[in-house]
Amino acid sequence: MDNWKTEATKYTPEIYFDASNSVLGINGESYPENIAEFAGPLFSWLENYLKNLGEQTFIVNIELIYFNSSSSKMLLDLFDLLEEEVSDNSKKIVVNWIYDKENDAAQEYGEEFQEDLESLPFNLVKKE
Amino acid sequence: MKANWEVGVNLLLHFQVVLKRIMKEKISNELFEFKEECDKHGILLSFYGYFSQELLVEIGDTLRNRMKLDNTNSTKMIKIFAMFIEQAQNIIHYSAEKSFNKELNCSLSNGVIVVGYQDDLYYVLCGNQIDKKNIELLTKKLTTLHNMNKNELKYYYKKQRKSLTTGLGFIELARKSVKPIDFDFQSIDEQFSFFSLKTYI
Repeated sequence: MDNWKTEATKYTPEIYFDASNSVLGINGESYPENIAEFAGPLFSWLENYLKNLGEQTFIVNIELIYFNSSSSKMLLDLFDLLEEEVSDNSKKIVVNWIYDKENDAAQEYGEEFQEDLESLPFNLVKKE
Repeated sequence: MKANWEVGVNLLLHFQVVLKRIMKEKISNELFEFKEECDKHGILLSFYGYFSQELLVEIGDTLRNRMKLDNTNSTKMIKIFAMFIEQAQNIIHYSAEKSFNKELNCSLSNGVIVVGYQDDLYYVLCGNQIDKKNIELLTKKLTTLHNMNKNELKYYYKKQRKSLTTGLGFIELARKSVKPIDFDFQSIDEQFSFFSLKTYI
């Protein structure tokens, strides 16, 4: 599988995949008018990727400074999908929720996602 | 709360009155008065007209820069920015004065948004025209949120996020606002009303 990258815009995050380390990264800000249009291709790629995911651990690094309410729904859908793969198909997946020490809102969102997850390892990573 | 809210409504009415006079009388005097009135209300920015995603991105950037220059603390700055984006996107999605051109792939929605600082709090005030048939549902939704405490709002948000595909915006606003969000409807004609919403940070 190849590396790929979608550049950030002012209101959509950078998304990249590092194939050799099995890392998906989402960085920046997310407040498009239509989140489904933006996230559609990512979800299609993910479903295909997870189907073929073998023994290696898939790492998802998310570092979002700000996202709007519809992006928050998209993130929940993403975590639900990953959690299902862990609980039903025994896939190895880790999510790192990375936030700046001064961004209380990002920390709170991370904590709230974490509270609702059961099988998916979800780490809160504070950046000093 | 009541008094502050009246300021908000008065402010929107004031825009109308001033604009009416600007059209009729000596332009420079009236515009200066308008600016002074804005300063008096602690207004950082105000925009009336047609909104697009591109426009709100640019206004949002300017707002952030302005707050950086004012040394606003970064947690507060992100919250104010979040309120601004959520409320501006509300106008984009739900204004009854909305035009869409498929060929140009261009969608514009009419509304007004004001960000200001008064009585030691920032506020974001927005308004747009809605169809009267939506008043009942909006009132129900917003009254429910108005009466919830922060903890209730948190669990309501989590629950709704699982089941809803849209409409999380109000709950998000209610959670971030340091005081219950205020709202009002003002009748325009038989079919339409002006809906306004005020949040506090």
